[in-house]
Amino acid sequence: MSADPALQITGLEKSFGARRVLSGVDLRVEAGEIVAILGANGSGKSTALRCVVGLAQADAGEIRMSGQDLTRLSGTELLRARRKAAMVFQQIHLVRRRTALANVCSGALGRLPLSKSALTTLFPNELREEGMACLDRVGLADRAHDRVSALSGGQQQRVAVARALCQRASILLADEPVAALDPAASEQVLALLADLARRQGLAVAAVLHQPDLARRHADRIVGVLDGRVLFDRPPTAVSDTDVDRLYGVARLAVA
Amino acid sequence: MTTTTGPDARPDFEDVGRPDRMPVPARPGRSRLMTVGVIVSTILVVAHVFAFEATDFSPGALVDGWRGIARFLGEAIPPDLTWSTVLKPGLEATLVTLWIGLLGTTMSIPFALVLAVLGARNTTPNAFVYQIARSILSFFRAVPDVVFALIFVTAVGLGPFAGVLALICHNTGVMGKLWSEAMEEIDQGPVEALRTNGAGRVQVVSHAVLPAVVPQFVGLMLYRFDVNVRSSLVLGLVGAGGVGFLINKSIKTFQFDEMLTYILIVLVLIVAVDLASAAIRRRLTA
Repeated sequence: MSADPALQITGLEKSFGARRVLSGVDLRVEAGEIVAILGANGSGKSTALRCVVGLAQADAGEIRMSGQDLTRLSGTELLRARRKAAMVFQQIHLVRRRTALANVCSGALGRLPLSKSALTTLFPNELREEGMACLDRVGLADRAHDRVSALSGGQQQRVAVARALCQRASILLADEPVAALDPAASEQVLALLADLARRQGLAVAAVLHQPDLARRHADRIVGVLDGRVLFDRPPTAVSDTDVDRLYGVARLAVA
Repeated sequence: MTTTTGPDARPDFEDVGRPDRMPVPARPGRSRLMTVGVIVSTILVVAHVFAFEATDFSPGALVDGWRGIARFLGEAIPPDLTWSTVLKPGLEATLVTLWIGLLGTTMSIPFALVLAVLGARNTTPNAFVYQIARSILSFFRAVPDVVFALIFVTAVGLGPFAGVLALICHNTGVMGKLWSEAMEEIDQGPVEALRTNGAGRVQVVSHAVLPAVVPQFVGLMLYRFDVNVRSSLVLGLVGAGGVGFLINKSIKTFQFDEMLTYILIVLVLIVAVDLASAAIRRRLTA
């Protein structure tokens, strides 16, 4: 069983009406590695991740988490299995009027009964302490009681990562996590994701639009074009030509 | 001209071949838009003709009636400011009016909240419950508070309690609808995020939806409080307590100078409530 990858997607297909978004995507992410997914807008990268966490429904294909096939599960079993994967979004999606700590604790909602989670005041003390540890892991323990709206974009994204940690997920999916951040904050968030993979053994898959960020931080780069995986290699084996094929650019030399 | 040699080719910046002017293409569906415009204006004109007819609308009657107004004002001015018989009971009744408005607003919060959550598209458990909740809200909104007051006066008798009950009913309908719309307008992102970590519906409502709408909820509630204080005046006219009841009594006994005192007190109350609620709302949104 231990040989099973944390996340294995095989032959994932998805259409929105007549538009085919995924035509058989394969993706494998091992525990302890960070995989960057590159591809043009509309190539299907985000949809693949959304299928994993249940925000979209795949038409065909398999999604396995540590060997368990999610497509064969339903109801509470499926929800329980899906909790192994947490998602971080480009638009961050925190509750802006709540504190950082309250947002982080909300990552645990899936495993808490209503009697301990209907209101933030009902959160058990252990959960708050776990939330603090998660905030500390992303370097924001000192901002626990600050409202999210008072934090910078990069800090907000790190709070969102802490929320995923508080979910106790073993798979961390990031959908363009740094698209709205400045270069320094992007670097910090990517370094955090890579560190979580290497030191905490999370399986991290991040959709990115910055090939150099991917090269610097990822263990593998997966290129997606028109709903298919075009290549899947270590960063050193990914050439500029490979990247350009993804974005369909004929290179323009700078005079 | 552009030079096309090799992959490094770049177009020249001077766009020599482009014309300085171009014909504007015809906007599609323009004649249809004109037809719709003509039909709508015709309907409006016809409706106004009927409306003027049915309401005996005549500015002439208003001008001819100035004598009546003058006599009325003559009797009303100066207002009767006798403390024991007019001013004191007037102030006390005005306070009752304020309390009716307050209770009518706050006591409808739980009902409005439940119906708003069930009747908002992004928080309702299913389409059936949604329709039921919407229908209940529509019913309470459609029946005017005065009608509720008349019903409750027959149940609990003349007095302010009937007014409170009437406002609770009507305000539940209006505030519930406003709140459900506020919830439907929130950013769905945090809701999606919590769904992916396995949160249930109640958890999503309490941890993503409600925190996002607190300022709107409070603002709408203050606005409703403002409206309800004014409504409770009218409710007094049909016997549901407060200063409206005194106004009605003084009209019936032709004590217009008394009535003017009450109206002046009411004016102060309403302006004060209006200013206070506007000030609080401004601070909330700031």
